[in-house]
Amino acid sequence: MKRVATFYAENEHHILGGGFILLLLLFWESTPLVFPLPKGVSLFFTTPSRVAEACYQLIVENKIQEHFYTSAVEFLAGLGLAVAVGLPLGLVTGRSRVLDAMIDPFITVFNATPRLIFLPLFILWFGIGIWSKIMIVFVGALFPLLINTYEGVKNVDRVLVNVVKSFGASEWQTMRIVVLPNSVPYLVAGLRLAIGRAILGVVVGEFFGASKGLGFMIATAATNYKVDVVFVGMAIFMGLSLILTMAVKKVESRLARWRPEETKTF
Amino acid sequence: MDGKAIYHDYQRPILGAVSVLAVVSLWEAALTYVIPLNPFFFTKPSLVAIAFKEQIIDGALWNDLLVSSRAFFWGFSFAVLLGIPLGAFMGWRRRAEYTLDPFLTALYASPLVALAPLIIVVFGVGLLAKSALVFVLSIFPFIFNTFAGVRSTDRLLIDVVRSFGGRERDLYLKVIFPSTLPYIIAGARIALGRGLVGIIVGEFYAASEGIGYAISRFGDTYRLPEMFAGILVLMIAAVVLTEGMRKLEALLAPWRAAQETR
Repeated sequence: MKRVATFYAENEHHILGGGFILLLLLFWESTPLVFPLPKGVSLFFTTPSRVAEACYQLIVENKIQEHFYTSAVEFLAGLGLAVAVGLPLGLVTGRSRVLDAMIDPFITVFNATPRLIFLPLFILWFGIGIWSKIMIVFVGALFPLLINTYEGVKNVDRVLVNVVKSFGASEWQTMRIVVLPNSVPYLVAGLRLAIGRAILGVVVGEFFGASKGLGFMIATAATNYKVDVVFVGMAIFMGLSLILTMAVKKVESRLARWRPEETKTF
Repeated sequence: MDGKAIYHDYQRPILGAVSVLAVVSLWEAALTYVIPLNPFFFTKPSLVAIAFKEQIIDGALWNDLLVSSRAFFWGFSFAVLLGIPLGAFMGWRRRAEYTLDPFLTALYASPLVALAPLIIVVFGVGLLAKSALVFVLSIFPFIFNTFAGVRSTDRLLIDVVRSFGGRERDLYLKVIFPSTLPYIIAGARIALGRGLVGIIVGEFYAASEGIGYAISRFGDTYRLPEMFAGILVLMIAAVVLTEGMRKLEALLAPWRAAQETR
């Protein structure tokens, strides 16, 4: 008995957290068995076991793999593009006062505005294929990366810059030796936010005028009242975001042990 | 000499205004003189300005704006009303944190927008579905920021209040609430952005009125100047709300404004 108590005390964190999730799933599963649902509600109702079954079906029919592949391509291409543009732009605006002042109004405005608003425009410009989605992922992920890199450059140690400069380093060398390494942790923090925005872009982009992808799968399933398939898609997105953000967080905490994490942001 | 001094003092706003003006006039000039304008594909600032005047000042878009802001208001209000107490409860009771944190973190991290089609199918295309979507997306920043705020309350202050005979109520009103408020405002800013996403997605997906619906309808019918005017309105609204929140934050907690990252 005592050993059980100490075991509980040591693992209370996990037991309570995991237990709550299990309890919720159990409650969800048993709801239709305990309360008879009216017909209108049962149409929109599903249980975890039925979701798992639908997931298995979709894997067997090779449907998920196909949708997943399309979504993954959009995600990776958009995010890659955002890093390729955001990193240099952040470095340059962080170093140059004039450029910073000139770009600032645009960054403020576009960062405050949900970039999803450009989706109709992108569909018009890039068609309903994969490119409009890549672009919406790109603009979504760009600003967290750009702004965080900028912050990293701004927070660089003045003394280090002055030392390198007084030993005759050029602007390019200063950038490479001092500024870039200093802003890497910030960039990684930006990457964590950017992943969230990129997934948002993939999901919403595929809701409209797509013929493939997990977002498309969710949207068509919802209009056909296949609620279990909606939850399969949701579960996949949930798992992916959790895995990706946790992985980046690991890197982040290793790179920036000295920076206090204040609140959760996704 | 004087001009130089003025430039030095106001370098940032001057440069910002110059670059915005430059972009707008370059855009206008390029499409007027250099590239022939294909009105189905692109538009230019002068046409957008005309559309802006017609749609906004003459009133065609006001109803859409009203519809959108009503949905936003309801969803956001419920997020505040439920999110803050839940976050405070998690911050104050350790067991509550252990129990709720993994579940809520998983929900916060996942793109709940993926449920938008389902929410719209269940609640219909009206106010209710959009409000629900805004609520679902914007509650989490309130929960987690309130939680972090309560958690960061200075233990010393609590002990001081207790040892001078303060009651439980004093503890909440004089220590915990003031030190949590800046966190809540910071959370409100994040929630704002997520709430706007909810409105837009809801209205893109299925709606018959609202600013997001207006923008996607103009896009579908190739009325680009009107579409850009709609985007401009939304941008102005987003900037006013976000910057307002930022000002409020700086006012309530000037010591935090410095260490803030956007």
